[in-house]
Amino acid sequence: MIKLQNVNKYFYKDEPREVHALNDINLTIENAEFTLFSGASGCGKTTLLNAIGALDAIDSGKIFLDDKEIGSLSEHERTAIRLNEMGFVFQAYNLVPVLSVEENIGFIMKLRGFRESEIKQRVLEVASMLEIDNKLRSLPHALSGGQQQRVAVARAVASKPKIILADEPTANLDSKNSQKLMDMMRELNEKEGVIILFASHDELIRESVRRVIKLNDGTLVDV
Amino acid sequence: MFRLILKIAWKNSFARPSRTILLVVMIAVSMSMMLGIQGLYDGMVKNMADKNKRSDSGDISIFAKDYRINRDIRYRIKNAELIQKELKNTEDVEAVVLRISADGLASTARKSSFAQIRGIDLQAEENFGAFSEFLKSGKIEFGKRGAIVGIELAKTLKLKVGSKVVFSTQDSNGEINSMAFKVKAIVQTTNIVLDTSAIYINLEKLRTFLGLTPHEATQIALKSENKKLSEKLKSKYSSFDVKSFFELQPMMKMMEDMMVIFNSITFFIVMSVVFVGIFGVMYVSVLDRIREFGIMLSIGMQYKYIRLQIFLEAIVVGLLGFLSGAVLGLVLLIYLKDYGLDFSAFADALEMWGYETIIYGTIKLSYFTTTFFAIMSASVLSVLIPLRKIKKLNPIEVIKADK
Repeated sequence: MIKLQNVNKYFYKDEPREVHALNDINLTIENAEFTLFSGASGCGKTTLLNAIGALDAIDSGKIFLDDKEIGSLSEHERTAIRLNEMGFVFQAYNLVPVLSVEENIGFIMKLRGFRESEIKQRVLEVASMLEIDNKLRSLPHALSGGQQQRVAVARAVASKPKIILADEPTANLDSKNSQKLMDMMRELNEKEGVIILFASHDELIRESVRRVIKLNDGTLVDV
Repeated sequence: MFRLILKIAWKNSFARPSRTILLVVMIAVSMSMMLGIQGLYDGMVKNMADKNKRSDSGDISIFAKDYRINRDIRYRIKNAELIQKELKNTEDVEAVVLRISADGLASTARKSSFAQIRGIDLQAEENFGAFSEFLKSGKIEFGKRGAIVGIELAKTLKLKVGSKVVFSTQDSNGEINSMAFKVKAIVQTTNIVLDTSAIYINLEKLRTFLGLTPHEATQIALKSENKKLSEKLKSKYSSFDVKSFFELQPMMKMMEDMMVIFNSITFFIVMSVVFVGIFGVMYVSVLDRIREFGIMLSIGMQYKYIRLQIFLEAIVVGLLGFLSGAVLGLVLLIYLKDYGLDFSAFADALEMWGYETIIYGTIKLSYFTTTFFAIMSASVLSVLIPLRKIKKLNPIEVIKADK
């Protein structure tokens, strides 16, 4: 379960151009939720996703992952939480350029200390599900944008994290691949009970999720 | 985990091959030049010391007390042949020679100069220090009334092979005696004192001339690699003046120390250049990939693994540079050792100071071991500042910037 209590986040604090990116957010996300943060550009959905993902610090309030309060953790502990409990899908893929597709997908599993055979099997499983199993030996730069995005998704889901945070995951995919991605995400959510949180404008995602949380200028308007 | 990080480091090292190759070449060329200079510096001193040992002092010399101060044959070793036999049977002693030396005046029809006459056994000197290698002109032999003359003395007295020279000195009875010789050969030992003053004649002939008995000598020189032997001999022959090479030639010790200083300065300069080179490349390389490190941090890779990766990248480049430099340096040192570097253009100045005109290099394992540790240290130190930059990195800023 993820719980946010009176979360506030500012950009350019105490400067004339100050932006109140998250305004007193109170929110509970139960286990196995399949949820979308939606809203216009700049409404704070990515900022909220990053705050939940222990990537960005907040200015006030508390965020709990189960019973752990993220703000009280050291950088080392927050990194460990990101590694062991979360999977990230970034809009800009963010793959490791010198590693092959296979190595990129298995990267987090390796960091988490999975066995080599287990990594190989899981990489193959996820890659064939996302139809990139014929590209396993390729380097990221040799792939199209859509293929790179699928590798990024595969990397996030391969280690079966408790939470997947996906920021515009379908932005570089065509409708067919977007649908496949959403089907896979839903299956993961239903079978494994993984919390999956999206930040997106995509109508397809809106139709696929079970809950939509709407933000406007950093404030929750519809939960 | 280590294998994965090593793999990333290795691949990153060659992600921009031209940059890496350039750095490796820079390290290799700087290192090989440095090794060449070190080899030449050491070679200069080693050759000079070697010739001094071979022509005069050996590794250890034994004199009668007060001989070196007074340079008078009254202070001679009476039982020199007995001591020579004892020394020959001593462990670690490779060769022993007896010499008699007396100061006097060498004259030709037109010129005269201070000289020292040295009685030597040519066969024993050949075994001791390959005396024939000092030959510049003529033939190494004494014949009936022959002498061999140092090159600078020959220049002073305008002597050539076949010239006549008269040497006058005081014998053991205090009488002034003279002896005439025909120059059979001119030698250059690069020992300044000997080259400017020595006239070598047959040992037995000089004994007779000076009125000494067959068992006597003014110097016993011996060759030995054992550094502790001189201390042993000092206590064993406490009634004599036993001196090690550096005690007899303090200038050589000073020159050796100076070469260590020169080498250290060269080493420091070259390693600074290597450090700046690796630092520059690693800094640019890290800045180029700052987003990549941000991603790694954001997906949960601990900073310590990123640090390890960057250290490994620097070590890979440093190691490749060292290996290339070691091969190149070894080839250069072997060439310098075998063929030397010809400084004939500066022959007068070099010979005046006792150096050879062709300077041969030396090869020491320590050149490579110290350079290895220095390059590895420079590699590791060069990434400390880039690492600070990553440590301060906020992954979210990197990801945001990309969007």
